[in-house]
Formats: sequence, C-alpha cells, structure tokens
Amino acid sequence: MELVGFLIVFPLVIAVILSFVRSDTARTYLVIIPAVIIAAASIALYVIYGSQGSTYFTFSSTIVDIVCIIVSIAIGAIILVYGFRYKRILPIVLGAVQLIGSLIFDFAFGHGIDVSRSLYVDGLSLLMVLIIGIVGSGICVYALGYMQDFQAHEPNDAPDRRPIFFALMFLFLSAMYIIVLSDNMTWMFAGWEITTLCSFLLIGYTKTEEAIDNAFRQINMNLLGGIAFLVALYVCAIGFETLSFKDFLEIGSSRPNLVIMPVIALSIAGITKAAQMPFHTWLLGAMVAPTPTSALLHSSTMVKAGVFLLVKLAPIFVVCPIASTLVVLVGGLTFMLCSFMAISQTNAKRVLAYSTIANLGLITACAGVGTPEAVWAAMLLILFHAIAKSLLFLCVGTAEHHIGSRDIEDMDQLFQRMPKLSRFMMLGIMCMFIAPFGMLIAKWGALVALIDMHQAVLLILLAFGSAATFMFWAKWLGKLAGIAGTQENIEGSVFVSEWVSIGLMAVLIALCCLCLPLISIYMVDPYIVSSYAYAGISDGMVSSAFDGTIDVDDLWLASIACVFAFIVMFAGLGRTKSRQVGVYLAGISADNANRVFRDSLSGETIATARNWYMTEAFNEDRLSWLGTVVCIILEAAFFIVGCVTLGIF
Amino acid sequence: MGYASKSPWVIHYDGSSCNGCDIEVLAALCPGFDAERFGVINTGNPKHADIFLVTGSVNERNIDVVKEIYDQMVEPKVVIACGICACTGGIFHDCYNVIGGVDKAIPVDVYAPGCAVRPEAIIDAVVQGIGILEKKAEALNASRKGA
Amino acid sequence: MSIVYALIGTLVFAILGPVIGCLLSGLDRKISARMQGRVGPPLLQPYYDVRKLLGKERVSVNTAESAYVIAALVFALLAGGIFFSGGNLLMCVFVITLSSLFFIVAAYSSRSPYAEIGAHRETLQVMSYEPMIILMTVVFYQASGSFDVSNLFNIPIPIIGCTWLAFIGLLFVLTIKLRKSPFDLSMSHHAHQEIVRGMTTEMSGPTLAKIEIMHWCETVLFLGWVGMFFIWLNPLSLVLAIVVAVLVYFLEIWIDNNFARTKWQALLGSAWFIALVCGGLNVIVLMFV
Repeated sequence: MELVGFLIVFPLVIAVILSFVRSDTARTYLVIIPAVIIAAASIALYVIYGSQGSTYFTFSSTIVDIVCIIVSIAIGAIILVYGFRYKRILPIVLGAVQLIGSLIFDFAFGHGIDVSRSLYVDGLSLLMVLIIGIVGSGICVYALGYMQDFQAHEPNDAPDRRPIFFALMFLFLSAMYIIVLSDNMTWMFAGWEITTLCSFLLIGYTKTEEAIDNAFRQINMNLLGGIAFLVALYVCAIGFETLSFKDFLEIGSSRPNLVIMPVIALSIAGITKAAQMPFHTWLLGAMVAPTPTSALLHSSTMVKAGVFLLVKLAPIFVVCPIASTLVVLVGGLTFMLCSFMAISQTNAKRVLAYSTIANLGLITACAGVGTPEAVWAAMLLILFHAIAKSLLFLCVGTAEHHIGSRDIEDMDQLFQRMPKLSRFMMLGIMCMFIAPFGMLIAKWGALVALIDMHQAVLLILLAFGSAATFMFWAKWLGKLAGIAGTQENIEGSVFVSEWVSIGLMAVLIALCCLCLPLISIYMVDPYIVSSYAYAGISDGMVSSAFDGTIDVDDLWLASIACVFAFIVMFAGLGRTKSRQVGVYLAGISADNANRVFRDSLSGETIATARNWYMTEAFNEDRLSWLGTVVCIILEAAFFIVGCVTLGIF
Repeated sequence: MGYASKSPWVIHYDGSSCNGCDIEVLAALCPGFDAERFGVINTGNPKHADIFLVTGSVNERNIDVVKEIYDQMVEPKVVIACGICACTGGIFHDCYNVIGGVDKAIPVDVYAPGCAVRPEAIIDAVVQGIGILEKKAEALNASRKGA
Repeated sequence: MSIVYALIGTLVFAILGPVIGCLLSGLDRKISARMQGRVGPPLLQPYYDVRKLLGKERVSVNTAESAYVIAALVFALLAGGIFFSGGNLLMCVFVITLSSLFFIVAAYSSRSPYAEIGAHRETLQVMSYEPMIILMTVVFYQASGSFDVSNLFNIPIPIIGCTWLAFIGLLFVLTIKLRKSPFDLSMSHHAHQEIVRGMTTEMSGPTLAKIEIMHWCETVLFLGWVGMFFIWLNPLSLVLAIVVAVLVYFLEIWIDNNFARTKWQALLGSAWFIALVCGGLNVIVLMFV
C-alpha cells in the first residue's frame, strides 16, 4: 500500500520542486531520475499485486478528505480567476456551479460517509499504472529535449515558462494515479478535476489567442463532464449512502434499475473526458499545445481517464441496457465519423487527433457493450493505443522541429531525410491499424463481442469506420515510405532524450505485439475474471469468452507475423543487390530523382503527386455537424430518461 | 527454347515519320492477328518490355527520348527498327532536323525495311528478334552463373 | 495446434496456390481471347511470363521496394495457408489486407508519379471493399457459429441458404479484389486502359514476377472464399464448392470483358452501398430473425 501512496505523492513532490527549478541541467536530472523511479515503482506495483486479482487497502483519512475539498475549491477558484481575467462567461458560470455544487456536497452529504478501503489495485488499474508510469514518464523525458527546441523557436524576449510546464506534466501523472488507484469517489473526482485543470493550463501554455480559446473550450466541456460526475456523486451519497466505487458497482450490477441515473451521469463524464462527440472539438483544439502535451493527453492521461471510468462501469452496462445503448451509440458513431473526417486532413497532428478520438470511440463502445470479451478488447485497445499513439506524437513532434512542418505532404521522402525516425513512425502507424499488430487484434475481440451481443448497428459502424482507418493511415504510410535519389540526412540534431523516449515506445510496441498472448493471459484475463466474479455473471460466461472467439494459437500466429514484419521494416529495407535505376517519367528525365522531366515545349516540369483527401466525399464540417447534433440529442435524451428513472425507481 | 522467347513483351515508339509504319505496327498487334498467341503483349512501360519496336527516324528532338526508353528497359532486350525511316532515315534522311536511323541513337538488333513496313516483315522481324532475345538471355544467364 | 496447421498449410499453399492460380490465370487469358474471337495464348502462358521475368536482370528504383514486395507475397501465402488449413477466417482477411498494404507501400516507395497514382487508387479500392469483407466474415460467423473455416465440415446444411445476400455482396467486391474491369483502377491487366502500368510501373523482372505469383495466390484464396459458402458435412460438397468457384471465376472474366473502367466515385459509392445493403441487411437478418 505504501507503494500506492508513493506513486501518488512522489510525482506531486517532484512537480512542486520542478516549478521552482530554472536551471536546464538541474531540470534534466530532476526529470530523468524521477521518471525512472516512477516507472520502476509502477512495475514494482505490478510485480507485487499483478497476480492477485484485486486488492483493496484499508485506508481512510480525514486529512486526505479535507485536502480533496481544498483541491476542489482551489480548482474552482483558479477557473473563476482565469474566467474573469479573460472575460469568459461560460467558464465562470460552470466553474461557479461546480464550486458551489462540490461545497454543498462536501459539507452537506459527503463528509458523513466514510469509505473504509479507499485505495485499491486491480488488473485494470495496474494496466493504467503501467501505462502512466512508463509511457507517461517517457513522454516527460522526451519533453526535455523538445522544450529546449521549442524555447529556441520562441522569440528572444519570450519568458521561459518551462518550470511550470514540467511541473504540470508531473502533476498530471499524480492526478492520473489518484484516479486509477482510489476507490473513494470523492478522491477520484478530485483527481478528475486536477486533470481538467492541468490540461487547461497546458493547452493554453503558449498564451496565443488560439491557445487560450482552445483552452477555454476544453475547460467548458470538461467542466460539464465534471458537473455530470458531481451529479453522480450526489445520487450515490443520497441514494445509496456510499462513495465507494466498488460498492456502487455491486449495487449497480445487482439492481441496475436503481443506478440508471448515476451511470448515465458518469458515462457523460467519461464521454466528455474521452473527447467523444459532441465533445471531440476540445481534443482537436488541444493540438495547439507543445507536442509532449498532446502526447500526454492522447496516450496515457486525460482521455484515458475517461475510458478508464467507462471500462470500470462495464459490469453495470452489461445489465443496464439504457446506459449501455447511450455509450455504445455515441462511441460507435464517434468511431465511424472521426475515421471519415481523418481522411480529409493533411495536418499530421490533426490526423492523430481524429484517430485518437475514433479509437477512444471504439473503446467507449466496447465498454458500453460490457461483456467480458468487449472489456478484453477495450483493455487491449487502451494499452496498444497508448503506446502507439505516444510513439507517433513523439515522432511527429521531432519531425516537425526538423522539417519545419507538420503537414503530411511535407513528410514526403522522410524515409531518407530521417531514416530512423521514419521507421519508428511507420511502425507506430502500422500498429494503429493493421493486423497482426495489437490494435487490430483487439478490434477483432470487439467484433466478436458485438456479434455475440447482437449489436448490429455498431457492427456496421465498425466495418465502415475500419475501412476509412485503412485509407488515412495507408496514405500517410505511403508518403513516408517514398524514396528517391539521395537526400540529406537531417537526423543528427535530434536530442538524445528524444531518441531515448521514442526508442522506449518502439521497444514497448514491439514487446507488446510479440507478447500479446501473454498479456492477454496474465494481465487482462485475471482482471476480467475478478471484476465479473461479483457482478453476478457466472464463471462459465467469462471463460467461454476466450475459448470460442480468439484462440491463443491465433494470437501466437499474429506474433509470428509481427516478427516477420519487424524484420522487413528494420532489417530488410535498404539491402538489395539489384542495380539502381531512375523512375519512368514518360519522356526525358531532366532530374530523375526529383521527378523533373523535359516537357513538349523543351521546358522543365516537375511531376507532383498529392495524396487523396477527398474533401468532397468526406467533408469535415458536414460530418462534424452531423455527429455533434446526433450525439447531443442522444446524450440529452438519455440524461432526461435517467432523471425520469430516478423518479420511478 | 528458353522462356524469354515464349513471352516477348513489346513497347512501341514512333519517331519522326509519316505514321504509316506506326499504324502498321499497331495493326499487327491488333486482335485480328492475335499476337498474344505467341505471348506477345503490348506494354506501355519500358520497364516491363523485352522488345523495343521503333518506327520513324531519329531527330534532334526525340533522340533523347529513344535513348531513355532504351536505357530503362531491363536486360535482356532487343531493338527492332520497323520501316525504312527507322532503318536509315528513309525519305526524311536529308531533313534539316533528322539525324538518321534508330541506330544513330541506340544499338539496333533487327532491321525491317519497307514503306510502310508490311505485317509479314514486322512478324518476320519479331521472330528474328525473339531469337536474338533468346541468345541474350542465355548470355545473361551464363554471365550470372560465371560471376 | 491450429498454428502448426496454419504453418504447414502455408508451405503447401506456397506450392499449390501458385500452380492452381497460374492455371486459372492462363484460363482467364484463354477465355478472354475466345470472347474476343481470338485463339489466345497457351494455357501455360502466365507461367512462361513469370519464368521470363525471373530470368531478367535485377533492377530496382530503390533499395526498399523488393523487401516490401517479398513481405506482400509472404503474407499472401500465409493468408492462403490459414484459410486452406481450416484456420480462422478473420485472421485470413487481416493477413491478406496486410499483404495489400505492403504492396501499396512498395508502390509508394518508388515515388514514381504513375506508381503513386496507382497506390492512391489501390488504397481507395481497399477502403471500398473492406466493409463488405468484414461484414462477410461476420455473416460467416453468425451462420456457421465459428470463425474457423474447418468448422464448415461440421454443419448440416451449407451456409449459403441464409447468407446468399452477403454472397452477392462478396461477388460484387470480388471484382475489385481481383482487379477486374470496371474496378481495376489501381492497375489493369490490360494495357489499353492504364496510365503506364499503375502500381507496378516501377517493378520489373523478378520483382514483377513475385507480384504475378501473389496475384495467382490471391485469386485462389478469393475463390476459396466463394467456395466456402457451399461446404457442409458431406465431403462431396467440396466438388460443388469448386464448381461454384469456377463458375464465379467465369462470371468475373465475363464482367471484365464487358465493362469499361469506372470512376472512383462510382467504385466507392457502389461498393459501400452494396456493403450496407447486402452485408448490413444479412447481418441484421441473421441477428434478429
């Protein structure tokens, strides 16, 4: 249990220290050493508790309760201050609602309820701990080199606000640990709000007008989610007189009619945080932040908190069709529409953002289906998405600093200009969308779960969304792969810290793909067995999830295919005995490597080829509008239904 | 007989000519004569072709094109000059811009004269070309084994 | 054990797949010629072509292309191995998609304007047929109770009875997968309607030979998908499956010879419409009726 406390407190301490450190050298040590310690502690936690199913620690502390109250007041206050400073009405209103709401809650309802076992670990939280500890701290290390470049690109008189940046990164990690490790819902809520605030400050880091606008959009949406969370807290405290998530799950899975309202409220909280439609715009806006922020938000923190909550609710979804329908529909629609919209994007970070939202949609939908197979798929999707996405963000960030653009068209021939980086990027891309890499195997699990649960609509959404996924990833992959002539290698100036983090992610990806069967057997299955054990679902149903659908042999076959693909990518390319010739340009080449040919007027013409973005067929505005309207209607309707059920039951 | 002779893929280029030979060559490749019986396929891509059929003479403008197409063809390869213009420059030989026959640009293996070149001559030339192609393929194979 | 079967199956398929595929391809050219009133090449013409290509000089436009093509070929063989050893259909679909991806990347890597256009179009083609293929596997699972192809020999009646709608959908996208006109946007077997040579513009000699072999194997695999709809307990059903597959292949040749290439909008629109109607409807019917 000490280790759990350490994981929460240690990043917090580091964050405080980092906010005062202004020296580059000192910061380097203060980031790298704690990052290693956090990763090691996370692994240690897994080693100790990994084999035990779920462990609840008897721990309750009024001091922590009071700290949580102070934190929520402080957060509310900070939001109000920012709201007044930038004269934004909506955040002031929402912030005030939340501040007053949580004050009333804490003093009128919350303080009488004692949660005796506030901390716990189980398979899902351990998985999250590993992701936060390894991927999250890897990103912090990457930020060292990146932010140095970033500062160098700023105007000379720009203030160096890197101390606060790094402090926020570590604070983020701490908040995530609180969310995934505490069973006390008020503590979870405090962590939840800290992540909201941290990402607000990180998105607005550059303080440009666009950054501030986007930061406020983020805070508006997530405050709404926070208020939904608060509603759930009220219902739990008043209706069930408990604030333990475990108790809530037990009540919910045995008497689902009672919990429709809080589950829908929590789902909406999860949906906002996971940037599902109509809240997807905050994640798109978050791109203005420095790349490590995006990497952190997209892969290991923030949005993962949203899906974490939803996956935790899965045992209720499986018996509560109303809430399940909402989550499944929103997730499925988001998956398909965001995959479509990604086709029309040329900005690499925007493609990544849409793909994140789409994948989170899939995870959300899986959580909403709630069967053991679906949760199996959701957990693997969380894992693979976290690693692959952070790898991609880190690669795009580094590429951006070296080629001066984040446009996919400008990444033409990156294979030669940045050979190592482009291979890592290609690896990340392939992991995102194609079998035998983990992501698609997890999608396979999702497919099986959907068939078994008769989710026909979602199946069709999945089929079309997946097809779109192929399109936008494959064309990016192709752009990277282009080789022509000899290009200057511009990789020399990449920071060692960046290579270390990128290398770490690549190794993690490779390991996870190769060891997929082991991860399934030793990490995911035990959680599912334990979390459904008390949910009134027989062992038979759980074990059958892994017999008929995805054979371990098939997983091993995928591993073998992965090995082959890795060999091709990292050892096969660039070795050939054949004679090298120029490309065919249907005439006289003037400069073959650059596709310049002599045209019919004896002038010189460059043959150019752009990827297809099909903006007519997959129009971003139209699709976004459609998704927003449909999802708002869905969420509002289900929320009202939830309120009605509260009256009936 | 090796396989090179069983699947001669041709590419066709028309230099400066009256287009008569050009039409004759394409006509010979039409379904009516069914050249595919012998594995002949008309490709539009020098990288896939074994036999280069050139009609018309070489001039200042197209000499580089002819050379580039020839260079992009993969060994073993054979060049057939179809028609008198391709062989020697023909009626255009003393035009101000005409350099002469195709052999001024690239090595020619078979000459098929005629104005315009007759289908029989084209087919005869291709058959001869196939023989040369076969020899070149064997030579390439031998050099590969020797190396 | 299925992993051992799959790997043995891959080895066997690596020999039988190309042989059968080569004969089918020869048949295609022969029949096409007869449809055009010609005699046509010998049945073994595709074999001669490949042998000739293998004997040509090794030339490439970059150092990566051949590795990608080898990967594409190996994954096509693996997909065939998985399918014909009675393995998991969905895995087979995924692996063949991986194979197409490597082929696409190979074309992109050459950075030839023509190959790149072909690669764009091929990506679009994959996107067009993918929903129908996924829904087909779903329907297969619903009808036969398992993703395992070997399970077909345990069911009392062939699945075609309740999956004919998805079967029609498969026939539609089969034209795209086999790269037959009107859906041969990325690269055509016929030079007359192609910009240079589409995806394979820069591939020559032995590399092109590998692509040809890959196409043969793909053809056999896809016809296997067609045949599987007609398999049940009775071992004689294999004969029926083969007959149907051959008839379908004949139909594809007929379509190939009778339609001109279409635009990508028509391709995407029609393929997705068919997927939604045939695939989606069949899934819903099997799920709820």
